[in-house]
Amino acid sequence: MKNNLKIAIQSKGRLKDDSLKFLRSLRLKFTVREKSLFISCTNFDLTILFLRNEDIPEYVGRGVADFGIVGENILAEKENELKVVQKLGFGTCFLVIAIPKLSNIKTPNDLEGGRIATSYPQTLTRYLRQNKISATVITLRGSVEIAPSLNLADAICDLTQTGTTLREQGLVPLTSLLQSEAILVESPFPKLQKDSFLSLL
Amino acid sequence: MSSYITPEILKGTRDFLPKDMAKRQTVMQKIKTVFERFGYDTIETPVIEYAKTLLGKYGEDNKLVYQFKDNGGREIALRYDQTVPFARLVASNYQNLPMPFKRYQISRVWRADKPAKGRYREFYQCDIDVIGTQSLVAEAEIARVMADVFQTLGFERFVIKFNSRRLMNSILGRFNVPPEKQIEVIRMLDKIDRIGEEGVTAGLKEILPLKTIPPLLKVLFFKGSITQKIASLKSYSTQEIEDFFRLCQEFGLDEKFLEFDMSLSRGLDYYTGITYEVFLPDVAIGAVCAGGRYDDLCGLFCKEKFSGVGVAFGFDRIMVAMEQLNLLNEIRLNAQVLVTYFDEATLPNAFKILTNLQKEAINAEIYFEPEKLSKQIKYADKKEIPFVVICGPDEIKKEEVTIKILKTGKQKTIPQTQLTSYFNGYVFS
Repeated sequence: MKNNLKIAIQSKGRLKDDSLKFLRSLRLKFTVREKSLFISCTNFDLTILFLRNEDIPEYVGRGVADFGIVGENILAEKENELKVVQKLGFGTCFLVIAIPKLSNIKTPNDLEGGRIATSYPQTLTRYLRQNKISATVITLRGSVEIAPSLNLADAICDLTQTGTTLREQGLVPLTSLLQSEAILVESPFPKLQKDSFLSLL
Repeated sequence: MSSYITPEILKGTRDFLPKDMAKRQTVMQKIKTVFERFGYDTIETPVIEYAKTLLGKYGEDNKLVYQFKDNGGREIALRYDQTVPFARLVASNYQNLPMPFKRYQISRVWRADKPAKGRYREFYQCDIDVIGTQSLVAEAEIARVMADVFQTLGFERFVIKFNSRRLMNSILGRFNVPPEKQIEVIRMLDKIDRIGEEGVTAGLKEILPLKTIPPLLKVLFFKGSITQKIASLKSYSTQEIEDFFRLCQEFGLDEKFLEFDMSLSRGLDYYTGITYEVFLPDVAIGAVCAGGRYDDLCGLFCKEKFSGVGVAFGFDRIMVAMEQLNLLNEIRLNAQVLVTYFDEATLPNAFKILTNLQKEAINAEIYFEPEKLSKQIKYADKKEIPFVVICGPDEIKKEEVTIKILKTGKQKTIPQTQLTSYFNGYVFS
């Protein structure tokens, strides 16, 4: 791949379609092919990379991609201090701690000593420390919602948009750790062509 | 049955109980980690040396070297510092050592001194040195190591003050201060913090002609940033200090941690180039680290010349400062889990739990007797063990285990198979 500008976006998931829509709104022209890992714009010197959500900050942080579209929740978890170009207004969701409906846990302080399953261990650990709550963090890659019903956890910490998935598992939100939306981030390394992309915004 | 020996220790020596040792070891380990990050290895020298090796190296302080005749009538001395034994070691091993040679050393030294507050007869020294190079990169590296040590220990504010012996010689020479009076002048300048500029002026009147004093002080106590200070001294030999400062910056040392201080007078008769001292603005305890460039480490032991640069960290002062700034609050003792001894029948299961925890690198111990639970918990409390694991017949039947968290008194029952992951994922807040 030549040394042109690259932007990393989600290969699958809730931000993918809106990310492409955002790029089209900048009048960039491209054809999306199923399963392709990258595509080039036909009217602009830009390649779109399709990556795993959690890898995007890594690529942008190392300057392999010049820009990225990623959820704030991922950036918070990776503790990557990338420059945020702008918030994009889509993919809004909340990172919440949720508990079974009939749980003895009534307030965040009741989490003391408990087990919390999450895919966001760093963000959760920071929240616990800030709120002086000691608890066990159980890191899971996915399907976090079922951990309480299997007695693997007393609570979960996970993303929710509408709360439907939580409700389906008999869970209710206890507290919100952060609100997140999609953001455009920029690599910390200078590159001449960056400005030409930024001028499209 | 009346004559017990009084259980006492010599003045100026100390016993350290587990809690104190946990703190000291944590701090020592953090300091070592920084040294090792820069590629320093450690060495060890004997506690006892031939008296002739140590005597005659400490000037006035020779009388503070502990000496005795051993059982074979040999004249023996106890290690008084780490520098002289290091010089002796280098003189007899330099052909086998990589050059430049860098080492760290943390060990006990003994001084037959009169004990006072903060002055001990037995204490730790903590040194790093680089020998066998004249390069100022060594000076800059040591400055970086000092900064990293104090940052790693959690100090938000510290100042590495530095000066150049060469520069001072050049300035004092230009003001026609004869070499034999230079040390006196520098000693007087060092008092500026205590007696102020007026006091220094008064003191200098005893040493220098009156008309020399105001212009000299104007040069030495120029106020401004490091760059401005160096620029104001352009007509003297500033090359060394300029290069050192530039290298420090290139090495990534933040200028806010550095201060060019021409009143610094450390080890006048010993140091020949850059000298440094580290101060903590938030704790009035004096220098917590100091050292500099010297010309000839092994002069008394061999004809080879080894120039070097090194600093000593004041371990005890650092401990006091950290205590004062509450930087040692979170230090825990070794055992994290006490597995209770419920009764004979459940003991094998308790051993199994204990072994599983230890296999996962969780420090755990078992209570030695099937005492009342309250007594076992009291023991855990006194030992500051955060968790007590209880597994009686009921729990065994259900394949569960109960964890008592001592800080809150809360109990939590979970499946036995989740016990190690419970502790491994635990976030202490």
